[in-house]
This record gives sequence, structure tokens and C-alpha cells, in this order.
Amino acid sequence: MSNQNIIERINPADSFTLAMDQEIRNDGLPGSYGCFALEFISSPNIPVLQSRIKELSERFPIILSSLQQHGKHFFWCKREKAPKLFFQHHCPSNQEEDAFHKDQIDSLINYRKNREDISPMEFHFITGSQKHTLLIRWIHPFCDARGTELILKFLCTDDINLRMKFGTPETKPLVNIQLEKYRWWQRINLFFKGKNFIKKLDTLPSIQPLTNTNAPKKLNFLIQRLTESESQQVTQLARKHVGITGTSLYYIGCLMRALDTFYTTHQGEAYCVPYAFNLRKQRAVTPMTGNHICALFAQAPRNILDNREELFNYLKKQNHDMIRNQQDYAFLPLMWAGSWLSLNDYGKVLRLTDSGSERSSFWFSDIGQLNFPNNKFIDSEIKSIFHMCQVTTPPGLAFLSCIYKDRLTFSYSFIEPLTNCEQIKMLQDIVRLELLGQS
Amino acid sequence: MKTVIRDFIFQELIFVTDPKQFSDDDDLLEAGLDSMGIMRLIIFIEEQYGITLPDTEIEPDNVQNFNALEQWILKHKNK
Repeated sequence: MSNQNIIERINPADSFTLAMDQEIRNDGLPGSYGCFALEFISSPNIPVLQSRIKELSERFPIILSSLQQHGKHFFWCKREKAPKLFFQHHCPSNQEEDAFHKDQIDSLINYRKNREDISPMEFHFITGSQKHTLLIRWIHPFCDARGTELILKFLCTDDINLRMKFGTPETKPLVNIQLEKYRWWQRINLFFKGKNFIKKLDTLPSIQPLTNTNAPKKLNFLIQRLTESESQQVTQLARKHVGITGTSLYYIGCLMRALDTFYTTHQGEAYCVPYAFNLRKQRAVTPMTGNHICALFAQAPRNILDNREELFNYLKKQNHDMIRNQQDYAFLPLMWAGSWLSLNDYGKVLRLTDSGSERSSFWFSDIGQLNFPNNKFIDSEIKSIFHMCQVTTPPGLAFLSCIYKDRLTFSYSFIEPLTNCEQIKMLQDIVRLELLGQS
Repeated sequence: MKTVIRDFIFQELIFVTDPKQFSDDDDLLEAGLDSMGIMRLIIFIEEQYGITLPDTEIEPDNVQNFNALEQWILKHKNK
């Protein structure tokens, strides 16, 4: 590969997600995909959508690039031929539409391709006479979920002058900007703070709810959508238990308790849950691409799970202490240092404790409230939105949340055959009771 | 006091096109101040003014806008 083909080097947070891509590939799965699915009431205007995607690729040509290794590092590189970004999948008239949509999404989230060959992002419109879904699939070093949300907003913004504001002013990766705020000795201090924090987490072996010796085969997903009144009730309970600063912790705590009720045979002393927080300013329309996240952990010892009050107080205090002690920013120098390791070595450091056991009990991501002007996307009303992601095995389970049209939506991305739809459906019932405080 | 807090919020937490147009009564939560942002803001205020804002008082009424924030801070600063 010639240096002339290089567009840009990936940033430390991209390396972090790329290491996970490698780990997922090492498990025999397709890699670190993230996906958003927009379900429409009627078909959006396809020619407009296509022209906006074209405009997006002209404004942000990295979307057409190929991720390649050059020496020790990874770079976004130009391709000889631009990849296709938009695909349409029509349901044949003799097929049942719900099943067709589910099959298409299943195959798209499990699509295997070399890292160098796959497009950073693809748009798949799945359509029939009744049902219309736009699935956006991206590989994680290309952008994070917040970046995809910005891309969706770019695509559905009608005014070209407003579209021109996306991605401007161009900034350096926020991870680097944040790191530059610290002097070198402060970075070293933060590095050891982060390392010691992880060492402390590792004193309690993590529970692996989905432990199963069968080899991972494919990602599957199930969506749980609460009604408006249930969502309101959950928000009130979250506020009561963890305050306005810890809604995500309420969801995490509820799933911990549900897992502990449902999967009773597993070993371990604590649930340990990594989640990412975004370094972007809220409402900012830049940066569009790249990852601008840092990791945080929620950990709860098993012996406090029986008591909801105690569990939520514990998670809340842990989160407050973490932010007060700048434990969150402490992971920035760790991510920077990790970007110099080989992907396999970095993946091990990220996932495994010193004793070689997996640190994560499940993955978690909360993208909060999703808003589109008039709930429309290129003239078509969005009925519902959910997201999915590939996950390493173990833990084999990612729990993702968002709010759209005042309804809480939880997506369970899980690896078969570690678990299956029947088990996840039963788990969902328990989670629902937990969320509503009816356990 | 408000100027310092305004600068912190607009430089670190929320993007608004023209901060000067954002009044002291405008809704910060509507403008995108999220849970992580509130936590960061509280820690900034505590360090800046040497006070402790009790967790039990972290509620929308106290962080809704700059005027509410100022009242909340003054209540603890004058203790």
C-alpha cells in the first residue's frame, strides 16, 4: 500500500473499538458491527435518500474508504473503486413480510467480509407492500452510535445550508483534544489511576450468565418496547432510585437482577458491565465520523443484588465516585497506550483479568432520546427505531436502550447458541417486571 | 458566577450556535444537558466554589436553567 492512499490514521478510541472487532472476528463472528433500524409507516422518497447518501459520501469520503494496516497502525485508505453504499431488498409477493424483514436483518448483521474489503457504512432499504425498514450497518472503527445518529440527521435534513453545517468546524478526534488538556505527568497519573481501577474491579470474578461451551454461530436480536405509560413509570422509578444523573444505571441494575434470577447456575462474584460515554458536546453536529468515546464500568457484587435499594445506591455511588475521581478520563491514556499494542494483545488487555477470565458480564449502551423533526425521515414517518451490535463471546449479550416517541426500547443482541430467543423472551419478562418495580 | 458556569457548559457540555442568545431562563435540559453532563457540571461547581452539592438535591428544578443553578449554589455557598 502506498502512503498516497492514506486518508487518515485511526484515533485511540477507534483502536479501542477495532481491538473489539478483532476479538469478535477471532470468535468466528463477522466483526464489530453496529446497526440502526428505522421502521417507517410508508416508504421514504428513495431518489432523495440516494442523492443524500451520495452527498454524504462526497462530503465525508472516508465512508468510501478501506481500513488497512500499515506497519503497526491502522489507516483509512482510498480504494480504487468506490463501494456501493445503498441497497434495496424487496419482499417477494409470496413471502410473509415480517419474516422477510427479520431474515434480511439477520443476514445483514451476520454478513462476513474481510476487514479491508467491507464498506465502513452501508444503507439497506428492506421493503414490501406493508413494511419498510432502513437498516444502517457500520463497522465500529468508522463511527460510534452518536455519529450514526448525526449521519441520519444529515440525511433527513432538507435544507442544504443546514446540511452544510454538519461536520463543521472540522476538529481533531475528541479523545486527542481531551488528552492534550493534561500535561505529561498528569497523563501518567491518570494512566495508573485507570490501571488501578481495573485491578480493583478484577478482585471480584465476573459472572458470565451465558456460559455455554458451544462455539458461537451467529448474532440474533430481540426488541422490547414499553408503552408510553410504562416508559413514564420506569423514568419515575429510575429518578427515585438513581436520580436524574443515573438513568442508565437503573436499566443496568434491573438487567443484573433479572439475569441473576434467570440464569442461576453460573459462577462468579459480581456483575461487571462496560459501557461507553461520549466525549461529544450534546447537540454538536461534529465530529461525524470516528469514535469519540471513553469506557466506564458498572460493577455490583452478587451479595447486594437481592436488595433493589442497596443495589441502586451502590451503583449510583460508584458512578458518582468514578466521575468525582476522574476515573472516566483515566481511561483516555489507557486507550492511547493500547493503540500501540497489537490488536490481539490489546483485545486481551481489554477483555481479560490477570487470571485470564472474561471481565464483562454483558455490554451496555444507552443512546437516550432520539429526535427527528416531526418524527419524519425524508417525508416518511418513522414508526420505531432500534439498534443492535455484535458482541464478543463471552459475554455474548449486549443490552442497548433508546427512547423514541416517548417509548423506551431495549434491544437484546445475543450470540447463538449461547442462548436463544426463548430464553431471551423469558429474560425480557423478568426485566420488564424489574423495570416497573414489580419484582 | 453565571459567566463562569456558562463558559463551562458551552465549552464542555452543550453545543449552541450562539451562546449569547441563550438566556439565563432558557432550559438547559431541553438544550441537551444530559445525566453525564449534570454530573460533570456539579463536580466543576464543587471544585470552583469549594462547596458540596448533596446528591439528594440533584433534581431538575435545581439544574433547569442558569438562574436555578445560581440559586442552588448560593444556598450552599452561604451556609
